[in-house]
Parts: sequence; C-alpha cells; structure tokens
Amino acid sequence: MDGASETKTTKEKNRPQSWLSVLKSMQFSFVLLFIIVAACIAGSVIPQGASEAVYRQMYGNTWAKIIVELNLDHIFTCWWFVLLTALLCVNLILCSVSRFPAVLRAWKSSGRKNIGMWGSWITHLGLLLLIISFATGQYTSREETVYGIAGSTQPLGNTGLLVTIDSFKASLREDYTVEQYTAGLTVTDQQGNKKSGSASVNHPFDAFGYSFYQDSMGWASYVDIYKSGDLAKTDLICAGEYTFPNDLPSLVLLFNKFYPDLDRSEDGGYYSRTPLLNNPHFLYTVYYNGSVLGMGLAAPGTSIDCNEYSFIMRDPCEYTLIVAKYDPLSWMLGVSALVLLAGLFISFYVKPWEKKRSKHEG
Amino acid sequence: MKDSILGNIESIGFMAALVLYFAGSVLYFVYAGTKKEKAARIGYVLVFAGLAVHTVCIIARGINAGRLPLTNQFEFASAFAWGIALCFLVFVKKFSFDALGMVVAPLVFLVAGYAFMQNREINSLMPALQSGWLGFHVCTAIVAYGSFGVAFGVAVFFLLKGKIKGQLMERVPDEKTLDNIIYRAVALGFLFLTLCMITGAIWAKRAWGSYWNWDPKETWSLITWIIYAIFLHLRLRGTVSGRKAAILALIGFICVIFTYVGVNLLLPGLHSYASA
Repeated sequence: MDGASETKTTKEKNRPQSWLSVLKSMQFSFVLLFIIVAACIAGSVIPQGASEAVYRQMYGNTWAKIIVELNLDHIFTCWWFVLLTALLCVNLILCSVSRFPAVLRAWKSSGRKNIGMWGSWITHLGLLLLIISFATGQYTSREETVYGIAGSTQPLGNTGLLVTIDSFKASLREDYTVEQYTAGLTVTDQQGNKKSGSASVNHPFDAFGYSFYQDSMGWASYVDIYKSGDLAKTDLICAGEYTFPNDLPSLVLLFNKFYPDLDRSEDGGYYSRTPLLNNPHFLYTVYYNGSVLGMGLAAPGTSIDCNEYSFIMRDPCEYTLIVAKYDPLSWMLGVSALVLLAGLFISFYVKPWEKKRSKHEG
Repeated sequence: MKDSILGNIESIGFMAALVLYFAGSVLYFVYAGTKKEKAARIGYVLVFAGLAVHTVCIIARGINAGRLPLTNQFEFASAFAWGIALCFLVFVKKFSFDALGMVVAPLVFLVAGYAFMQNREINSLMPALQSGWLGFHVCTAIVAYGSFGVAFGVAVFFLLKGKIKGQLMERVPDEKTLDNIIYRAVALGFLFLTLCMITGAIWAKRAWGSYWNWDPKETWSLITWIIYAIFLHLRLRGTVSGRKAAILALIGFICVIFTYVGVNLLLPGLHSYASA
C-alpha cells in the first residue's frame, strides 16, 4: 500500500468517527439549542397559522414572503424544526450511549453506592424519552370536534361513534361570571353500546378510548325562511354561520352576534348587560350576490324582509363545542417526566449528600 | 374586596410589606456605604419582617377570595416577590453573604412595587383556572423564579467583583463561592421550573386535552429552561469562565422577567387571563 492510499484509508476511517464525535458533542447540542431558542422566539412573536395576506398587512410584502418561504408561519410543525429536534435526539442518544460505560465504571468503583453519578445520565434519558413520547403522541393521537345544542346527535368524525348532547349548562355566579360549563353527553359505538356522563372544564369525560373535553360555547338560533308568506325552510345556525333559501342561495342571512340582554353604552355602542335572556337581540347581515343588503339588530320573532322572502330568527339557545381526543400513549409522557425529574433531583441533591456522607465517614 | 376586615388586612399588610422591603433595601445600601455589619443585620430583619407580613397578607387574600391567590397579574407579582424574598433569606443565611441584600432586596421591593401598581380587585376564577393543579403549577413557578432572582443578584456581584474596588467588595465572597451560590440557586430554580412546566402540562391536558400548545408563555418557559440548561452544562463542564456562566444567569433571569411580564403584556395566548 503506497503512502497516498494509506492516507486516504486513514481519512476514510476517521471520517465516520469524526462525524459521530461531532454529533455527540456538547458543542453540537449547544448549536442546536441556540437555533431552537431563536426559532421559539420567532414562533412566539410571529402569529402562527395565519394567511400570507395577514403577514403582508402586518409586516409588508418582503417579510411576508420570507415568513412563508421559511415556514415561520408554522414553525413548531415545519420540517426544519422537526429536523432540529430529531438531531437533538440523536445527540442525546449518542451522548448517553457513549457516557454509559464511564458512568457504570465510576459507579462500580464507588462500591455501587453513589447513585448521584447516574443523575445526569438519567436526566438526559428522561429528556430523550419526553421528546420521543411527545413526537410519537403527535402521530398516534387523534382529535375530533362536535358542536350542537342540547338534544342534538352528531357523528364523531369517522370514528363510528355518535355523540348526543343530552344537556348543556353554563352555571353563573351572582355577578354573572361563569362558574362552570357542563355538558351531559351520551356516546354510542357501532355496536350500539352507550356510555353517558358529563364533561366540564378541567373534568373530561372518558368513553370508548376517547376523552371528551368541554371546549367552548356560543349562541345558536332557529331561522324560519318564508317565501311569499309560506314557510319554505327552518334552519338552526350558530353565531358566525349563515343560511339561505334553497331556491335562492345568493340571498344569505349571516348571524353575526347575539346579545342576550341588549343595552347601549354612553358612547352609543351595543353590549349585553348580563348573560340572561332579558332583552335578546340578534345582530345580522343580509347579503345578495355577495353585496350587503342590510345589517341590523332583530328581537326574536321579528321579520327581516327582502322582497318576497323574509327571515325570522327565534328561540335563541346555547350550543356547546366538544373536543374529543384519542391519545393512547399519554402515559409515556408521564413516565418520561418522572424520569427527568428523578434525574434532576439525583444530579443536584443526591451526589453532594453522598459526598458529605463519605467525607463524614472518612 | 369581599370581606372588608380581610380586605383591610391585605391592603395594609401589603403596604407594610412594601415599606419593610424598601427599608430593608435602604439598610443594605447603608451597609454598602458605611460597611457597618449592624446595618446588614437590621436589613435582614426588615426583609424577614416584610416577608412575614407579606405572608399574612397573601393568606388574608386567599381566605377572602376563597381560593389560592395566584391567578392574576397582581397576585402572581406579589407571590413572585414573596418567592424571591424567601429564597434570598435562605441563601443569605446559608452562605453568610450579607452583601447580596444590596441587589436582591431592591429586586424584591421592585417586584412588590410592580404588584402594588396592578389592579388588586378580587375576581372570580374562570372555569379553566378552577383546578387543583393551579396551586402546584404556580407554587413551583414561585420557587423557581425566586431562586433565579437570587442567582441574578449573585451574578451581578460576580460581574462587579473585578470591576469595583473597595472595602465593600471585600465583604463579597470570593469568585469561587459566588459561582457556587449561582449554581446552587440555578439548580434549585431549574428543578422547580421543570416541575412547573410538567404540572402546567398535566393541567393543560386536563383543561384543553393537550399537554403542550406552543402558547407564548409555554414557549418562553421552554426558552428560559434551555438557557438555564446551557448554564448548567457549561458550569458542570467547567470549560467556561465563571464570568460567562454569570452572564448566562443574567440572561436567564431576563427571560424569566419576560416570561412573566413581557409575555402577558405583549404576546396573547392561553395565559392571557394572567394579564388581567
């Protein structure tokens, strides 16, 4: 073997080793962590998940383009952030594997007494498990939503489950602030098995592997649509939704907002004095072919007339939005968090005590 | 205020605590100027008395509100000052480092003063805050922030140690001891910040169904956690000077302050109720 080829072979031999040493080095982890910190700062400052138009309005054309091109509009789920996290995991794995023999040797030489020596290693293991559990959870978990008024039944996405909202109540205090939102639910599976319970904020209801969370609420209204005095359609819409006559879809009634107890402030603005139905009014907008025909406030039962058509909004009622989550691996996060905490505690507090003890014994 | 007697105890108590923290800070400055140990001792007693009165005031508010008084900007700022004061007293006693009061006692006064400027009305809790995890989550945050506050104070001394000459600095422990105190304070804070984030994640799971939502408060807690993790690695590795580690401790505390004040005021999210 001549000198040149020998050098080449040595270089080739060293290359993977040097890559490994870079990947497992603390400097590499610092670089990753600094980039992650920078990404986190950007992700907390730039509104996430908005459209390019919003960024254009906020930051101008050039910055909006940069934000979208660099995926800064969804940093925490974009490919390069996932890659950074994956590299951090590789770094943690390599670092833990390479340190294991040395820690084991040191522990054995201490007479297997100084558990503090494992503290840092266990901490890294806990962090690694935490990241892996969280990432796995993102892929194995499922989320579905249903919303409706009491008495309605909805399918839960494609799960085959049916969710019936038996009841919904917003408990109010004397000062009309909300104490709790509670939804009575019945979940039915494909075999017809039923499970009933209630979901309130901080107290989800579990059924058929899913946890049902009381997420939010709003107001809904029945809308009767008349054509030339005859009832043509009855619809139930929530605030923010719209309805239209079936034979004239270009005529749209949008239910903007609901005031249960309408009043006017000194500056002339409308507000609801209480959440009680003392003076209920609907804020609506009527569109025809995309243009605004009119906008106004209507008490329940008031007719909103547009030529031969008229809309009557009536019977305001509260609807609830229920979020259902399937997260079979959430226990892994709990275990990882415990390992991390144990590792930190051992790192910071067990080692010195052992040292003190050995000093004392010495 | 719901109950006027408890309301008065709380109002007068908080004012008294504020005055005592201020007086303690002044005494520590007197100590800095005159080098009289007695001034530092009285300063310590005043901060201790401030903490005792502050504790009564927090308990009175808790009874009056019928819940843990840890939910809005005033209540958390008050608890934050309380946490720093407690950690300060423990660290001064443990390390016989009286001069620490010159930085940390005014910090306690400033944070308590910030609390004083907030709306102190007792509001009912929104449903998401009615959780047993609230106590664990906020109490661990208080210990963490308090420890980081102490680390910040010691880091200031570390950085001033070589720059300012004079008798005062002679009373400041040597750099090795300062470095050790910063490490101890950051280690305690880091453990509790981790606990705070974990209890917050469990609570978020119960309330919203997911452990982590990348809400600005969560994100900034993670940033703070990473900064202190880097500090601990550098410190344990021993390859950087204590000065660089002290600078990281300062940056970490700036992140703590931003997580607490800046996020509430500038970045809306799931924790927006905290700015009320």
